[in-house]
Amino acid sequence: MGRGLWHRGIVSSSNPVQSAVEPLEKLQESSSDAITEQMAKSLKYPDFFKVAELFTVEDLFNARVHLGHREGSLNDHMSQFIFGSRLSHLIFDLDQTATLLREALNFTAHIAFRGGIILFVGRIPQHQVMIENTAKECGEYAHTRYWQGGVLTNSTIQFGSVIRLPDLIIFLHTMNNVIYEHTAIRDAAKMLIPTVGIVDTNCNPNLITYPVPGNDDSAASISLFCNLFKAAILRGKEKRKELLGVH
Amino acid sequence: MKAYQEKAQALDALMFEKTTEYEIGRRHLANMMGEDPETFTDEDIDTAIEYLFPSGLFEPRARPLMKHPTEVFARKKVAEFDETGRPFHVLFYTGLPNYYQVLHDLSEKVRELDSFSDRMMQYNIHKDPERTLNVGGTEWVKKEQLEDILLEKLKDKQYEFFVRSMNRLLDHPFSYRVEEFIMKFRKHVQISVIHKEIPKLMFTAEGTPYMAAVGRRKTSTASVTVYGRGSGKISINGEDLLYFKYIQDREQVLFPLQFSGLLGKVDVVADVDGGGFSGQSGAIRYAISMAVRSFVDEQMMEKMRLAGLLTRDPRRHERKKPGWKGARAKYTWKKR
Repeated sequence: MGRGLWHRGIVSSSNPVQSAVEPLEKLQESSSDAITEQMAKSLKYPDFFKVAELFTVEDLFNARVHLGHREGSLNDHMSQFIFGSRLSHLIFDLDQTATLLREALNFTAHIAFRGGIILFVGRIPQHQVMIENTAKECGEYAHTRYWQGGVLTNSTIQFGSVIRLPDLIIFLHTMNNVIYEHTAIRDAAKMLIPTVGIVDTNCNPNLITYPVPGNDDSAASISLFCNLFKAAILRGKEKRKELLGVH
Repeated sequence: MKAYQEKAQALDALMFEKTTEYEIGRRHLANMMGEDPETFTDEDIDTAIEYLFPSGLFEPRARPLMKHPTEVFARKKVAEFDETGRPFHVLFYTGLPNYYQVLHDLSEKVRELDSFSDRMMQYNIHKDPERTLNVGGTEWVKKEQLEDILLEKLKDKQYEFFVRSMNRLLDHPFSYRVEEFIMKFRKHVQISVIHKEIPKLMFTAEGTPYMAAVGRRKTSTASVTVYGRGSGKISINGEDLLYFKYIQDREQVLFPLQFSGLLGKVDVVADVDGGGFSGQSGAIRYAISMAVRSFVDEQMMEKMRLAGLLTRDPRRHERKKPGWKGARAKYTWKKR
């Protein structure tokens, strides 16, 4: 079992066991107290939205998620997630990836369940349209363009009025066009906004709340990740409509 | 979200309060000015304030003013998210949702056209010359016009990127399939050449056609009347052509008539004042040329224009500069 998971305090990398908590029922009255209570109950489940069944390790392999960059560009913080290298190309440990991805999807679904604003961020031009379409299809938001400095930290002046900031930021690419880390990682940490990020071998996973080690350069792997996040968000929203009675 | 809702409500209350204050103020001003309060417009308010509260301040923006609250306070941003704070537009957090939406649509269209052309290649159909998109007589909207369409302020680089991307779409062999999208951002160019109105011939009581014109050169002004059905008489300030001592000046006066072939056919009466002989003769020449336009057809007028007869000579006397000998000439430069 990978060192990465041990550092994060995750005991087992196999599918989490369903605990014996009674299932949630639809609310009879939709007062805000009752809603808060329902939300609190949903946290008692290890995998309330059953995101674990959204994918298998084989799916990750087929989408080429395990392919990293070359050995020379390895970021030291990523070495815990690496299985090894083959002909100097690094290979991710997909067992660790799977566990961390399930954590991330679970968190995303909970945020969507609570009506949070989710922002998809990614700066590689080839995947811009795909990411924006994903955001549109699940009713969330995307920012795959030039990041203006004050979007999170100076939002009142940037947007001209007081706005609601995102409650979760999902990074499909943590690096900028220009081989620097995306500014939003640091800014989200400053504004206490949790982040989910696909980290490749040359990325730094330090400030990301739920890093998911994997390949961020193939269209196939990004497409898979987009679909998974979209599915998790839609599940969360479905449950929100069903159990909380809120649109 | 409570904070946001409270702020939105506070803003609404503020706007309502300020608007009622504004209306009351407007009625007061109307009464003070003795005008009808119902039809007192914003411009009337400005004039009333200027009159009733005269300010000795130089800067216009420091003087008292009263504008409608919407011009002073809020902008349309308030309508961009609902009461829970969720924005309406997918790309809201980019800061330029409409602009980036256009770029997104553009990319999608390019992909569509690429996949279409891939399918056509299977049947060996390449570019169809008959159905190529015709954008003759149109050009891309300017930056200001694009800002009006999108309701967003853009930087020059963003506009240039937009134009380059649209050109890429336009250059695609199958761009006719997305004609509607492209034409949204193309404006028809006005190819109208401003034809100056040539005044029509006027007629005296006897029925002779005449045309009057004013010409200037250096500091001289000449007002000239050219009478048709004449015999070539020329009168300048009451005297004939010998008013000018030098042959060059006399030639200048006769040149437009000789060029247009009206030398013995029209009479010229000129009043000229100011300047010296060269300026006066140039002024008369220009005035005669402008008057002769009404007597002559378009082709001859074009020839006159090419000959330089219809150009007002803009040259004026250039002042002498201190430390220089003249306007441009410098004193002899001594190396040591």
